[in-house]
Amino acid sequence: MVVKMYWISKGFIFTKVDSFVHKLDPRVKLLISIQFFTLALLVSDLIDLAIIFIGIILLASISKILSRLIRTMLFALLFSGIILGINIIAGYSFIYSLQIALRFVAIVCSTSIFFLITSPDELEYVLRWFRIPNDLVFAFVTAVRFVPIILLDALQIIDAQKSRGLELERGNPITRIKNFVPILVPLIVNEVIRSGELAEAMESRCYGVVKKPTVLYELQLNINDKLAIPFCTSIFILGLLFSI
Amino acid sequence: MIEFKNVNYIHVNGIQALKEINLSIKPKTINALVGSNGTGKTTLARHINGLLKPTSGNVLVFGKNTKKISVASLSKRIGMVFQNSNHQLFADTVKNEILFGLNNFETDSQIKKNRFEWALNFFDLKKYENTSPLKLSGGEKKRLCIASVLAWNPEVLILDEPTVGQDQVQKEKMLKFISNLNKQGKTIIIISHDLEFLWPLKPNTIVMAKGRIKKTGKMTDIFSDDELLNQTCLMRPQLLDLWMKLNIKEEPPGDITKATDAIRRINGS
Repeated sequence: MVVKMYWISKGFIFTKVDSFVHKLDPRVKLLISIQFFTLALLVSDLIDLAIIFIGIILLASISKILSRLIRTMLFALLFSGIILGINIIAGYSFIYSLQIALRFVAIVCSTSIFFLITSPDELEYVLRWFRIPNDLVFAFVTAVRFVPIILLDALQIIDAQKSRGLELERGNPITRIKNFVPILVPLIVNEVIRSGELAEAMESRCYGVVKKPTVLYELQLNINDKLAIPFCTSIFILGLLFSI
Repeated sequence: MIEFKNVNYIHVNGIQALKEINLSIKPKTINALVGSNGTGKTTLARHINGLLKPTSGNVLVFGKNTKKISVASLSKRIGMVFQNSNHQLFADTVKNEILFGLNNFETDSQIKKNRFEWALNFFDLKKYENTSPLKLSGGEKKRLCIASVLAWNPEVLILDEPTVGQDQVQKEKMLKFISNLNKQGKTIIIISHDLEFLWPLKPNTIVMAKGRIKKTGKMTDIFSDDELLNQTCLMRPQLLDLWMKLNIKEEPPGDITKATDAIRRINGS
């Protein structure tokens, strides 16, 4: 189970890869992600959805993150199954329910792809570029940065409790949920302690002394970015026209 | 008792953490796993109670292959105390923390009661019985973690970095209780960078580097090897260092008092 969790979690965590897409300006990556997201929201036809999936898979292949995106897709498919079931029970047709379920997967993938190709540092630069207050940027980026760390903590805690006889897969569904108490309590306590220590460490390194701290690098569009923007936007507009 | 046969282990991220491990740990011995950071010490230890299964090769514990036994059934005989105490403490009181493992492994209520009382007293935790584990100091938390594992009386105890965050008094207490447990017939496996702590225990030492076992044997033999020390980023224990510099042939003692006596005796004063 732990291995499965680790495997799926890799579908949500950024890893540095040497690809054309990874080298793009983070604002361009955000634009591409928003375009996919918008199309996924607007289209309603199964064929249109299939085209969006092909686009997402192509982008993931160019970015060399296809195997990771597949993990995200599988995770989203679990929830989309529930959506499909609820819609069918609610009396909607199978085709319509399938469209809604697949749209959910497309939305998750289009969002996930942005986080898979954008490092937390780049994310920070994008948010600052949007003139979002420094404290909010810091809180959000720190939360993103801590996802893999929290995951590792969770894996360590699971190992520690399994060594004391905890069997997560034992018992009926309610018992299985209760089995997670020895995992969740230390995890939450650890993260609360860590956040307190982080706050103190930041303050001792002069965090908050200036309202707007300076940055080492400024975002600048290079030739690849300047070519990627019109290319992606034209495909997006074509997609919009088709969907309408 | 514990045997590693040609064990290789590759992490899910593709990194090979253990390479061709062949190792035999005898019962009722104290063993130390040493080596620089990231050499696979903890990974090796996690194979013993089945938390990790070898990618190739076999780990035999009490004659049984760990691939064929659940972690829970192995843990009943092999207790493992993790490095970070906060990773395992979750109950509302010290009492419930100790009872967690006991409830999982022991059904007889009288045995449970006896073991619980033993663990509380042995680790000097009686006064904290109804206190939240989170309110304890670092040293007390560590003791509680060990107590909560030893409560169900495993035959093997694995301690991962037991001295991290411990003051000298706590370290000395820990030395005594490790020694006592060994005298009671328990097999102890300690993962540590703290060679000064390990020295008085005179453990069977397993030196690891880059996922491989470089050498096993007595601490004196291992840490006399300068080349090995350089390879493994380890520092010779001070008493052994002194013994080597004084060129004393007899076996170096475990503590400073005995060392002083030995030097006086050799000097004839």
